[in-house]
Amino acid sequence: MAEHAWILAAVPAIAFLALAALGRRLPRQGDFLAVLAAASGFGLFFAVLASFLGRGEGAWPVLNAIEWTAIGDFRLNMGIAVDQITIVMLAVVTTVAFMVNVFSVGYMKGEPRYWWYFAVLQLFVASMLLLVLADNLLLLYVAWELVGLSSFLLIGHYWERRSAVEAAKKAFITTRVGDVGLLIGIILLWKATGTFNILDIIHAVEAGEVGGTGLFVSVMFIFLGAMGKSAQLPFHVWLPDAMEGPTPVSALIHAATMVVAGVYLVARLLPVFEAAGDALLVVTAVGLITALFSGVVAFAQTDIKKVLAYSTVSQLGFMFVALGAGVVSAGMFHLFTHAFFKALLFLGAGSVILGAHHRQEVGQLGGLWRRMPVTAAAFLVGSLALAGLFPLAGFWSKDEILHAVEGHRGALVFALISLASIMTAFYTTRLFILTFLGKPRDAEAGHARETGASMTGPLVFLAVLSVFAGFVVYGGVGEALGFPGGFGEFVYLHHPETFHIDWGLAGVSTALFVIGVFGAGWLYRGGRLDRAAALTAWQPKLYEMTRRKFYFDDLYQFLIDRVVLGFSYVVSWFDRFAVNDTGVDGSATLTGYAGFLLKHLQTGRVPNYALAIAAGVAALILVALAAGG
Amino acid sequence: MRDFTLFIPEYIAAGAAIGVLALELALPRLRRDALAWATAAGAAAWLIAALFYVGDAPGDFEGLLRTDAFTAYFRILAAGAVLAVALLSARYLRDRTRAAGEYYGLLLMAGAGMTLLSAARELLTAYVALELLSFSLYVLVGYLKRDARSNEASLKYILLGAFSSAMLLYGISLLYGLTGSTTYAGVAEGLAARGEGTDLAALAAIMLIVAGVGFKVSAAPFHMWAPDAYQGAPLPVTAFLATASKAAGFALILRLFTEALAVDALEWRAAIAALAAITMTAGNLLAIQQTNLKRLLAYSSIGQAGYMLVAVAAIGYGDAAAAQNASSALLLHIAGYTLSTMALFAALVAHYNRTGDESIEGLRGLSATQPFLALVISASLFSFAGLPFFAGFATKLLLFQAGTGAGLLWLAGLGAANSFISLYYYLMVMRRMYLFDPPEGQTRIRPPALLGAMAGLLLLGVVFIGVYPGPVFEATDGAAAALFEASAAAFARLP
Repeated sequence: MAEHAWILAAVPAIAFLALAALGRRLPRQGDFLAVLAAASGFGLFFAVLASFLGRGEGAWPVLNAIEWTAIGDFRLNMGIAVDQITIVMLAVVTTVAFMVNVFSVGYMKGEPRYWWYFAVLQLFVASMLLLVLADNLLLLYVAWELVGLSSFLLIGHYWERRSAVEAAKKAFITTRVGDVGLLIGIILLWKATGTFNILDIIHAVEAGEVGGTGLFVSVMFIFLGAMGKSAQLPFHVWLPDAMEGPTPVSALIHAATMVVAGVYLVARLLPVFEAAGDALLVVTAVGLITALFSGVVAFAQTDIKKVLAYSTVSQLGFMFVALGAGVVSAGMFHLFTHAFFKALLFLGAGSVILGAHHRQEVGQLGGLWRRMPVTAAAFLVGSLALAGLFPLAGFWSKDEILHAVEGHRGALVFALISLASIMTAFYTTRLFILTFLGKPRDAEAGHARETGASMTGPLVFLAVLSVFAGFVVYGGVGEALGFPGGFGEFVYLHHPETFHIDWGLAGVSTALFVIGVFGAGWLYRGGRLDRAAALTAWQPKLYEMTRRKFYFDDLYQFLIDRVVLGFSYVVSWFDRFAVNDTGVDGSATLTGYAGFLLKHLQTGRVPNYALAIAAGVAALILVALAAGG
Repeated sequence: MRDFTLFIPEYIAAGAAIGVLALELALPRLRRDALAWATAAGAAAWLIAALFYVGDAPGDFEGLLRTDAFTAYFRILAAGAVLAVALLSARYLRDRTRAAGEYYGLLLMAGAGMTLLSAARELLTAYVALELLSFSLYVLVGYLKRDARSNEASLKYILLGAFSSAMLLYGISLLYGLTGSTTYAGVAEGLAARGEGTDLAALAAIMLIVAGVGFKVSAAPFHMWAPDAYQGAPLPVTAFLATASKAAGFALILRLFTEALAVDALEWRAAIAALAAITMTAGNLLAIQQTNLKRLLAYSSIGQAGYMLVAVAAIGYGDAAAAQNASSALLLHIAGYTLSTMALFAALVAHYNRTGDESIEGLRGLSATQPFLALVISASLFSFAGLPFFAGFATKLLLFQAGTGAGLLWLAGLGAANSFISLYYYLMVMRRMYLFDPPEGQTRIRPPALLGAMAGLLLLGVVFIGVYPGPVFEATDGAAAALFEASAAAFARLP
């Protein structure tokens, strides 16, 4: 089964075609097809996993490729490669996709273009699975663009709303800047190694066939693509705006799967990054700056989804820091646990938004604990997991990151990432208190009602995962599940690492959690805002700067308005007069006129035609004589 | 050796032709489209029989005919084209004529002629096969007896066909005089060993033959019959003219030029390159000026013939390996072009059956009334222009690549420029369909089931070749390899 893992991607692809073609006419607009496809994907994943584990470590990775085309010496194979990293990604994507599809049945009920929403969701799942299965960079790039397209379509699902259109456009264009880098990087690597195949590239790099500045440059271009997709500074601006899409989409695409594609790409090519000079230092720096920056911005956001969006950006920064330390298991482990609790938080937010009649500003919420107990409890679990409470999932993966940083990057990075951890605990606590504790600050929030089973079910399921998923770090747990050992013994770069809990580090981690939680708890005690208001009044400029996200959007807008549009005005003038009027219209007129002249040769009279044939023979003989003579 | 089993598929075709004629005589009250289904069944049987012959060891009939992968390729193409045209004709002909037996019978005979042409290795055999194809088509073009345009088209086609056929024969007789043989191998030997001072005679012979086959594939300046014949002929016959008839011409050219005339490549290659350049440029420039859809497609197919001649020129300029690559690319292009054309005509016939309008203007607003047909037409035209994801992109890429490989960069560049020009008039057609409102009172309707399904299937084929050309390319590679197996001796003699 593992060599036929492409079926995982084929099932949602077929569901997409069926829904896109027939969805409108099917009963219930075909939502059952979507859920069925997602459920079978979830089931098939276990078949793939069993088959993969059954082969034993010697048979990894499982490869299956066909010859796509062979032109002269150029051979292009397309296929899939299933290794440990792929398995982790498949687990994340199929699980979250299943939950989100079920949740969407409740959340999207009665919304416009219900069938189209589910169709594009399936397209996304198919593309995402293709992305993680691809054995070569070309196929990966195709899938990379396809997930970008599905993301664009889903963010802009409510295209009647101007802001949704703007957000979709922004997401598409911002990530595209990175994508161009990725494409350049892929072509550079192909020029250097002569192959698109990821394993072959890694082997070529490990054998020392390529290296030096050339490799560093190609790797940096590839990393640009990863930064765009994973919303790292300075490309982070699209992700918070992408919250214009339906909330389940935010959970699936903009928290658990697509945005981690950049992390996945770096993890997949980590041996290449290692060989490329200081590339990993750049990865660490970008991750660290992003983690700190977006942690700060998350303090001052008032939209429940935007807080979560900045939190996602920040956590993606954590993952890059781990990869920058060269520890693939820590990065992938955080990706794994983060997917579950962040999807849980987003779906919880969706439940809140629907329950509280589309109120999503924390200033209007509050006191939902009593009215929406299941959602609140699930949200609490997700928050604690994100903040890093022992022994929830987030604790273990954050612990692994701290461990990796401590071992490979030194004290300064460790201190800064600890600071970012405190921020995580702080904004998470703030969000929970403002949403669920205290008294409702708005009449609609006061009439909030718990949502239905199709929505609370996935919440409970993901909450369970958020509690327990972290335990796979232990060798015993992993072995009990059929893995060769704990997470670090399954996913590794050079040699497996057995997990031993480091009580000192666990203590530090818990201390960070306590500082953050109690800091926020003190400031917003019982859901009251007076101390926070006093803090804001004390430094209004600083607060304003944080709330406005350090003016990144304004800076970009300024650059686009002044520099890009100014330049494009000059270019458009040239285009108008030199290229269009003279070049294009001129040559088109000339071509048309030539055709007009030739037309008169076609007289419709047979003798003329025969004359042309005879003259043609004579002319050909003359041409041959002239060329041959 | 007289091995009569080599051509069992063609016996089926010929038998079906006679059967269809007999059927109409025996049952005069039979619905006319029943004959179409019978023909389609015969063509399908022919196709299946042809598939059984794929992969057989090359067979030889008295040194006159050769069955190998190359023959098998054109045999499948011929059977497929006849099958498609028979289905296209069913309703079209029922609406317009009373007697249809000869039509379908001649269609099958034309297809059989095409297979024989691809198998022929002797000049007179090739000539007879060519005339079998041509005579069938003369009648088919003029089959709409009450339509003055159809009559005019047929008459012009016959007169000019006879004229060019005479040129071909003259060239053949000159070759025989020079070499003392009419088999391709014998001609090659004779040309290599000919005496001093005979170059001009050889050149004249070859150019007369070029005129004969150039007429068949409608290369400029031998193309002038094409727009008139395409316009006057019944629409399905136009499809046959544009695909099978043109492919047959190239089958003849490929065997003749690689096996018999390769030794004289230095003499003829410049003329062929010039012919390619003139053909593609004239075809595309003239297409811009057209208002009738069938005439537009005639000129577009002339342009396509120009692209295909690039490969023939490349055969003359390259060594054996490059020539084989070029032949393979040409065969692939023919396959993609045939599929695209058939898809286009399936949609056009469906449109024409309903409206009877064959002007470009008549397609106004088709995207609103019949969106599927508009989609098929657009996709086929994009394929002609060579846009990615459609067959034309992959096949044209390989075709021009073969040209650049043989040192004909300027010709490949001209081909690319011409593709660009062609996009203009293809887009003008799409503009009518998508940007204009349909005529008053027309609402959305379903496409006819059979033609719609055919168009859909063919379109899938077009996209398949465009996205994944590997399997078809392998087949054409095999066909080209078989061609060069037979002509290895000729290329060995190349100076």
